[in-house]
Amino acid sequence: MLRTLAIPFMVVAVMSPECGSSSDSSTSAAVQNFQSITVNAGPNNDYFNGAFTSVTICAPGSVSSCQTISGVLVDTGSSGLRVLSSALTLSLPQQTTATGAPVVECGQFLDGVTWGPVATADLKLGGEQASSVPIQVIGGPNAPAIPSDCSSVGPPENTLADLGANGILGVGLFRQDCGGACITTGAGNPGFYYACPSSGCVVTAQSLTRQLQNPVWMFPTDNNGVLIQLPALPAGGALTSTGMMIFGIGTQSDNALGSAKVLTVDGSGSLPTTFGSQTYSGTFIDSGSNGIFFLDSFTTGIPLCPDTADFYCPATLQSLSATIRGVNGTASAVTFNVGNVDNLNGNFSAFNEVAGPNAGTFDWGLSFFFGRTVFTAIEGQATPGGTGPYFAF
Amino acid sequence: MSCRPVARFARGAFVLLVLVLPSRASAALGGTVATVDADRVHVQGALMRMVTTNGYALHEIRAATGTMVREYVNSSGTVFAVAWDGPWMPDLRQVLGDHFDQYQAAMRAPKVRAARGVVSITQPGLVVQMSGHARAFTGRAYLPTMLPQGVRLEAIR
Repeated sequence: MLRTLAIPFMVVAVMSPECGSSSDSSTSAAVQNFQSITVNAGPNNDYFNGAFTSVTICAPGSVSSCQTISGVLVDTGSSGLRVLSSALTLSLPQQTTATGAPVVECGQFLDGVTWGPVATADLKLGGEQASSVPIQVIGGPNAPAIPSDCSSVGPPENTLADLGANGILGVGLFRQDCGGACITTGAGNPGFYYACPSSGCVVTAQSLTRQLQNPVWMFPTDNNGVLIQLPALPAGGALTSTGMMIFGIGTQSDNALGSAKVLTVDGSGSLPTTFGSQTYSGTFIDSGSNGIFFLDSFTTGIPLCPDTADFYCPATLQSLSATIRGVNGTASAVTFNVGNVDNLNGNFSAFNEVAGPNAGTFDWGLSFFFGRTVFTAIEGQATPGGTGPYFAF
Repeated sequence: MSCRPVARFARGAFVLLVLVLPSRASAALGGTVATVDADRVHVQGALMRMVTTNGYALHEIRAATGTMVREYVNSSGTVFAVAWDGPWMPDLRQVLGDHFDQYQAAMRAPKVRAARGVVSITQPGLVVQMSGHARAFTGRAYLPTMLPQGVRLEAIR
């Protein structure tokens, strides 16, 4: 399917001058800027509403020393590639400090941490390539004991059973996973990067270029953002669902903004959502969340599931509406469904009606992505809709 | 509402406390009001304000990383709730104190279907709710049995 699609795209790109990145118009035909994503149970066969894809990883500069890792979660809520050591057979150069100590990362997520060394690799996604990218190798024999300052952030998620994925592909709003705060020394450093000589691990200042990078902004072209396209689903969901991850915004014929509204975000990647008569701050769009998580039972009038506080379980399917508003003032009305999670088909993995509580705010997770094209524009990158960061849909 | 003179006085008092408390004192949630300052020391933060309302006192600490941590102390001096927001996760072992192990156990408990991207833990003695993404994390934890009468949950954030 990818090959048959690629041919018409390339023909169009050659024939029409507005196609292809305008700043790179001297280069030849556009590269294949997309690859498929699949919502399924994932490599641990226990995930639901997670979008997975494959990433080809090569030793820097090598065309033969490569490995394709499948079952990698597509996450617009983080930046940088992380792969489980147990999924990686390739030998990659490990990043070290100026004094030769291994650099090891404490990847900080809401529900836990990933701990493991920073390595350097070339990454291939579709026809795009990012060269010499710092990535995290999670866990494994090369990871020293986790320091308590890292495990204090949350439980380690260093195995397939913990993650439910072979890795996380962070294609979010930011260029790096940490940014300016990790360049600093002292108490203001949030503790992502550690130098780990044999004497033990200590937090180290890490320059921007040595931090984990959103691979998309390191592509030579199509490097200003990513689109996630997933088909609409019927009530009750589907066994699996297959869609596309397309690189670049307005750079080729397949990634134009079209009628999508550009909603800019604040410095932390958030924007407000209005529901009923109330506007809630700190809301966000995140393919790495497996439902639409919003407000609470008291506010919504929707009961929680009897067996879990994670999800809503209304007696009948609820169709609700809200307005997501960019910091730029652009508003986009959305409708969304809230179903009874306890009644979902246990064999299915893709649902648009998975929703749960999230007191005081909205997390527009993967349920939101079905039937939409969602653009995530990277900070500082120019697009036809303005400079990132923003979401558009 | 903010009691600035009180806050200034309190900061002076806390300096004395710092001298006698180890920086890794048993921490906030469920701890005594003294552990609030242990938290402040641990995160090398600043006490931004202290507000006393009916039924509880709110201590707001700005960690050196920029993350705000708010600790709610009832009239008997016990921290019954903590809340945070900021670009980075807080040190949960510190802010959850003796409840951190319970939190970890709850996170590891097997579930038929688990939410990914939010944390909603509701146990008889502990509620933990967290949300966020890279560069923006919010959360709160409270001890349901120790909530002062009349305190609305919306106030804890």
